[in-house]
Amino acid sequence: MSLVFLRIGNTTLGGGDPTIAALQRELIRRGWITQEQFALAFALARITPGTNMLAFSAAAGWYIFGLAGALGAVLAVTIPSSLLVVWLTGIYGAGTQIRWLGAVVASTIAAALGIMIAAALTLIRSQIIANNRWVIPLLIAGGAFGLRFVGLTPLEIIALAGVAGLFWRP
Amino acid sequence: MNLLLLYLLLLKATMTSFSGLASLPVLRSDLVIRYHVLTDAQLNTAVAAGRMGPGPVGNYVVSVGYQIGGYPGAAAGWLAMITPAFVIIVLLRFVGRRAEHPRVRGMIRAITLAGAGLLLAAAVPLAREAIHGPLPFVIASASLLLSLLTKIDSIWVVLGAALAGLLAFYL
Repeated sequence: MSLVFLRIGNTTLGGGDPTIAALQRELIRRGWITQEQFALAFALARITPGTNMLAFSAAAGWYIFGLAGALGAVLAVTIPSSLLVVWLTGIYGAGTQIRWLGAVVASTIAAALGIMIAAALTLIRSQIIANNRWVIPLLIAGGAFGLRFVGLTPLEIIALAGVAGLFWRP
Repeated sequence: MNLLLLYLLLLKATMTSFSGLASLPVLRSDLVIRYHVLTDAQLNTAVAAGRMGPGPVGNYVVSVGYQIGGYPGAAAGWLAMITPAFVIIVLLRFVGRRAEHPRVRGMIRAITLAGAGLLLAAAVPLAREAIHGPLPFVIASASLLLSLLTKIDSIWVVLGAALAGLLAFYL
């Protein structure tokens, strides 16, 4: 089972959703989880903190082999890519000494910044549904105001937003 | 910074967000602004290194840990990245479908939006650090547009940028 997670988790590009889709195909095809189990795991993964894809992997592993399955799945999807990240970070460090590498590093950092801003805008876009358009600029403006002028920390703003959301029926 | 504190601070960021980079504003406010153990340049490096390979977007936390505490720090970052995932077992066992209550959905929607707004705010100092001169500006703008308007995977955007940087260096 861990081999399936190892292969899909570390070879599927594009982050969470494509990876979950690929896992769904493999796990259901093998009869390891049912369609209903997948649907519940997918829904709960979105309300679990942290990275959705990891929560989904933990849930699918849990269905198959209990706690050991959950651990195996999460280790398999994260360890190889984490080692790669550490290795790449080391190369970035070397970029300060080697000039051509420094140019490459600076360019990829600029690209990552563009991707980060796009990710934030995509998150906002994903939350827009027909009857809540006016709440969204309000929430963002409120957050920006709190951050800039009231001196709230990001966590305090997230907590306030969470409380406000309890009473928000979109 | 000791490892346990590093782990707890990173966990604080991962436990209070619901998608890859949404943990960044909380992480930056603790490690860059409050404890001064990380610079904006290092945080930029972490995000870029995370996007160079496959795996979850949240894996930039591993690079943050590595830059602060070497291999043990990377392990702390990795643990902070995976710990929240196990919350789902509790949800599966004890809560199930009831977890999809409208109040919970409203709360997560609001937290996601707040996180996105905070991420935009955090991008400003990170851009100030990363954008020197016209080439990085063009690359960042092109990457933003490509990511927003096409379904191209971010690894190709990053690799394309690397190629552009290399060409510009030798021309």
